[in-house]
Amino acid sequence: MSATDISTSAAPAVHTGRPWQRDLIGIAVILLAAIGGYFLFPDNLALLTRIIAIMLLVLSLDLVTGYCGVATLGHAALFGAGAYAAGIAAVTFGITEPLSMIGIGAIAGAVAGLVSGVVILRGHGLAQLVLSIAVIHLFHEAANKASTYTGGSDGLSGIAPDPLFGLFEFDLWGRTAYAFGIVLLVLVFVLLRILVRSPFGMLCRGIRQDPIRVSAMGASVKASLIKMYVISGAVAGIGGALNAVSTQVVGLDSLSFTNSAEALVMLVLGGAGSLYGAFVGTIVFMWFEHVVSAANPFHWLTIVGALLITVVLFAPKGLYGTAANLAKRFARSRP
Amino acid sequence: MQVFFSIGVDALAYGMVLFIISIGLSVTMGLMRVVNLAHGAFAMIGGYIASYAARDLGLGYGFAIILAVIGTIIIAIPLERFLYRRIYGAPELTQVLMTIGITFCVIGLANYVFGPTLKTIPLPADLQGPVNLGFRTIAAHKLFAIGCGVAVALGLWFLIERTSFGVKLRASVDNTAMAASLGVRTRIVYAASFALAVGLAAFGGVIGAELLPVEPYYALRYMVTFLVVVSVGGAGSIPGALIACLLLGAIDTTGRYLVPEYGEFFFYLAVIAIVWVFPRGLLGRAK
Amino acid sequence: MKKLILAAAAAILFSGAAYADVIKIGVVGPFSGPFAIQGKNFKAGIDAYIATHGDKIGNDTIEVLYRDVPQADPAQSKALAQELVVKEHVQYLAGFYFTPDAMAVTPLLQQANVPLVVMNAATSAIVTKSPYVVRTSFTTWQTSAPMAKIARERGVEKAITVVSDYGPGVDAENAFKSTFEKEGGKVVESIRMPLSTNDFSPVMQRVRNSGAQAVFAFLPSGPTTLGFVKAYNENGLKEAGVQFLAPGDLTQESDLPALGDAALGILTTFHYAIAHDSPENRAFVEAARKAIGNPAELSFPSVGAYDGMHVIYKMIEATGGKQDAKKAVDAVKGLAWESPRGPVSIDPETRHITQNIYLREVAKGSDGTYYNKEIKTFEKQPDPGLAPAK
Repeated sequence: MSATDISTSAAPAVHTGRPWQRDLIGIAVILLAAIGGYFLFPDNLALLTRIIAIMLLVLSLDLVTGYCGVATLGHAALFGAGAYAAGIAAVTFGITEPLSMIGIGAIAGAVAGLVSGVVILRGHGLAQLVLSIAVIHLFHEAANKASTYTGGSDGLSGIAPDPLFGLFEFDLWGRTAYAFGIVLLVLVFVLLRILVRSPFGMLCRGIRQDPIRVSAMGASVKASLIKMYVISGAVAGIGGALNAVSTQVVGLDSLSFTNSAEALVMLVLGGAGSLYGAFVGTIVFMWFEHVVSAANPFHWLTIVGALLITVVLFAPKGLYGTAANLAKRFARSRP
Repeated sequence: MQVFFSIGVDALAYGMVLFIISIGLSVTMGLMRVVNLAHGAFAMIGGYIASYAARDLGLGYGFAIILAVIGTIIIAIPLERFLYRRIYGAPELTQVLMTIGITFCVIGLANYVFGPTLKTIPLPADLQGPVNLGFRTIAAHKLFAIGCGVAVALGLWFLIERTSFGVKLRASVDNTAMAASLGVRTRIVYAASFALAVGLAAFGGVIGAELLPVEPYYALRYMVTFLVVVSVGGAGSIPGALIACLLLGAIDTTGRYLVPEYGEFFFYLAVIAIVWVFPRGLLGRAK
Repeated sequence: MKKLILAAAAAILFSGAAYADVIKIGVVGPFSGPFAIQGKNFKAGIDAYIATHGDKIGNDTIEVLYRDVPQADPAQSKALAQELVVKEHVQYLAGFYFTPDAMAVTPLLQQANVPLVVMNAATSAIVTKSPYVVRTSFTTWQTSAPMAKIARERGVEKAITVVSDYGPGVDAENAFKSTFEKEGGKVVESIRMPLSTNDFSPVMQRVRNSGAQAVFAFLPSGPTTLGFVKAYNENGLKEAGVQFLAPGDLTQESDLPALGDAALGILTTFHYAIAHDSPENRAFVEAARKAIGNPAELSFPSVGAYDGMHVIYKMIEATGGKQDAKKAVDAVKGLAWESPRGPVSIDPETRHITQNIYLREVAKGSDGTYYNKEIKTFEKQPDPGLAPAK
């Protein structure tokens, strides 16, 4: 049980046209979905913003799990670090400018990524999973203990971000937060597309497939992975900070094992190893959960469980991975 | 000195309870290579059956245990046939998704059928109440749990290392195709060892119910603990799991006694330290 | 002519429809997950109130919407509250089992013009976060402080506190310690243990070694209490005569069948016992048991929810069904009524409920069931925790 066979194989790229064209299409789809979401569900913007924040967490998890093959159940540590850093900056140090809060969140996430990367990468397979569990519990307990700054189990409330650019207020209807989230998401997506196609991104994919061969080629496996972990931390930190800015509160749950496990479930649901898979998984899981739990708050867990089982049985590569495979087969069957 | 013995007794009892519940998981994860996050769910089902048998039907404790083990296996057989068989050899993350899905379903159903309250399994009179050890008292059922733990450890070791079933199991796991071509009916071996793992889970769920009470959320609440002890021990290794349970039980108990405020730090820092030194678990097989 | 009559009839119908509004109440609570039973109790209390008082106030019909936050998750709680207000146009927010979830929603209230009726969350400071918060449950300070007086009355000189290491646990520790020491007692040791503790034997050994005459404990209600109470018995503390004191969360009625004989004789202070003897309570328990399905599942959050509904009904009456949070909250300041738990009132200044706190002992009834037997009453207790919170 080594790190190599842990992740599902990346969804094979569908080579229909030049890569940059496909990215433009991808961005267009995100923007269309965003605008569609705004007009179709104008009263659900708070939920949509939350989905964007979690999407950033799942994207960040995809970087280490999907692209590098590191199995982790402790990724919320990076998200929570970003959320708490942004929140503490606002409450204790009076830094309430939203862009600075996001920046602080990204830095804190990167630092948390460095720390947990160093610890988690020590193990392999199951041991790695256990190290990640230990890391998330330590982060959680540390936040619980530092209640002077974090509010402990009562949560860190009283975060009051300034209006964005001094113009757009973060209000009850959540339009500002939503637009802000979409812009952040598109920016992160563009940067990550560049990253995963860069030589460094290719190296990381190589590590997932065969770490021994990569090190035989003269590249440092561990250094690359830690570098990826730091980048991933920054992305998760942005997500956490966005969550802190838009909901104006941070709770211990953002640093919890449950949050980490849910992120992993969403990633695998969508299909690990592809940025689009992360998008699809997050939207499907959170939207499904939202609809089902509102329809029946008492027994929705059973239905979510059934959804997960169904996906494994009928779409074993995740929703996006299986769809991409089908599309490819369909394209090939035509002359 | 008395403190030392006192902690030692508690640690032994706690470690043994952990061992009984998690050893089944060590079988599925180490021998069958399935990351079975639904292990706690099977332990919980066992607990519910025993509780129903002993409390509502008024059957004896021993009978309730047997009923729990058999009942849980019967429930698990169709799950093995229709769900688990699809994920043998699948990537671990797929297994995680499937078994978490099963866990969610079981929790939801338990909540629906039995309601969200705690369920107890009444102990026979002999196991109730404290026993005086001279320097302190300890609950009788804890002594019983220690005994069960030793019996399970010996029995499993014998089964896997000394019987023909054990040979077939190890052969099927190491190379399914080769074992099959040599005439081992690997499907049946897999199904049997799955039943064994589930039966052990149910047994542990009943014996450990005094410490880890049965309620719908049981399946997720203790999942992390089970996963940690099995992995620290090295999946698939029975002595490894035993040592890990006793070691972690001791660390946990000592931490709770000496520095309860930092008990959580103490435990997980120790886990990191152990894995740091033994990156494949204490007695894990290098692959 | 015929057309005219039709038009007139239509006009009457439509104007009628315009007056008879549906007033929506959004309830956020844990309806699934490890605290599902507490959410179920919210619903039972609310259903019981609607069953006994009808779902109409004047011409307006009450509709209750439920949203699930399984574990403390302030961000999720806030997103759901926002949705309830913006999309479902609820006029009242209610429920909230966990403090952080309630705290997260308070900044919304002013802009949303919606009052928040807290039906459980028990940290004192919540009511200070917004003038639109009213609480009908209790605070940990309110239920813990009287226990210190009881301990002193019963001649306890030295006590030890054992609490779970999270907000409410720390609150309980502070409440007991400060009151106990003010009354001249001494807390020899204060132990805080992680929430995830399963085996309490080592803690009990420490309690034993401390030489205290009584142990004051606080754990969240649910599975851990069972292990804790059992460990207390099995480690011989009961025989050694160490008195077990706690706020009533530890012996909530839904846990009592599981605790069984182990809990007999435990002293708790709390605002409500299902066994409270009054005609109001008998009527409430009957309705709530019917609502919850399994009578054994009924416990304290139901009464917070029941009284919460009472407050909301009074608010709707005062505002005539119009959305006006300020008027609604002002209308219930100083409101006094006979609750199933006894006489209560809303403190006009703090908007927290003033109520009797009862000393209870776990006892076994003639039918073999366990209940909290009230043996002493502290009348009209305000929340002593608000002063330190400010």
